[in-house]
Amino acid sequence: MFPELNTTIANIYFGGLAIAALCCAIGVLTSRHPLNAAVLLIGAMLSLSGIYALLDAPFMAVVQVLVYAGAVMMLVVFVIMVLNRARDYMLPRFDAWSVATAAAPLALTAMLAFSMAKHPLAGSAGAVRGEPEPIAARMFAMGDGGGWWLLFVAVGVTLLVAVVGAVLLAKRTLDTPAEEPVKEEAGHGH
Amino acid sequence: MDTETSLMTPAAVQVLAAMLFGLGLTVAVIRRNIFIVLMGIELMLNAVNLSFVGFSRTLAGDASLLGMLAPLFTIAIAAAEACVGLAMVILLVRGKDSIDADAFSAMKE
Repeated sequence: MFPELNTTIANIYFGGLAIAALCCAIGVLTSRHPLNAAVLLIGAMLSLSGIYALLDAPFMAVVQVLVYAGAVMMLVVFVIMVLNRARDYMLPRFDAWSVATAAAPLALTAMLAFSMAKHPLAGSAGAVRGEPEPIAARMFAMGDGGGWWLLFVAVGVTLLVAVVGAVLLAKRTLDTPAEEPVKEEAGHGH
Repeated sequence: MDTETSLMTPAAVQVLAAMLFGLGLTVAVIRRNIFIVLMGIELMLNAVNLSFVGFSRTLAGDASLLGMLAPLFTIAIAAAEACVGLAMVILLVRGKDSIDADAFSAMKE
């Protein structure tokens, strides 16, 4: 699906995609309107998809674009646009206390990155390329070491329950038919 | 691809995943807009998937495939989480008419 790259080209691609992902993530942190943040987050997800393709995982790259950059972010953008109000711009992005707490995740990142960089990790020559066929064969294996198909079914049921739960949560009132206008909105939820 | 001069070492991938996770955690902790808090959680999940795939490249044979099965389940669960999370955001905004996380401190009083 993806041609073999020489090392120089792969380095350029990896460096560029890594910098793009980090810049998009910083943009999510600093953007004022949620719609800008959503577009930047889609950029970060597409960059990660490219990195998956470079890491010999083409199926993961395609699923990342289809499910994350496609379905999940479509849902996020749709809800932002449904609830969009002009005064969302007026909301302050941070407050003083929360900026002070940002030191904790940044220290965690520094520690994680330092320990990962010090740890001896080497790529394996025997790693299987992540094409759809071997992944599907592994997921639906029935014999010894199988059982992932059961998790697959469980995830399907979880998604169904999540959709039903989302509809029940977001519906105004359960007893009111959809076409009847609902009057009591101010007192809802108290 | 010769590994001597390649930038794309497993350690580099893990450092990138750690930085993205840290940025996502920072977004989820310090931003006040509840949409952007949700986006920070999505960014953290993405970083963990990258870490899984990066580690799967250091293993041989069957184990390297398992490192790509786990992110598939993570992605499916993240889709369910986004679905329920956004429904809760709609419910919260309908109740308080605000997307400021500080407006939802009823448990504190």
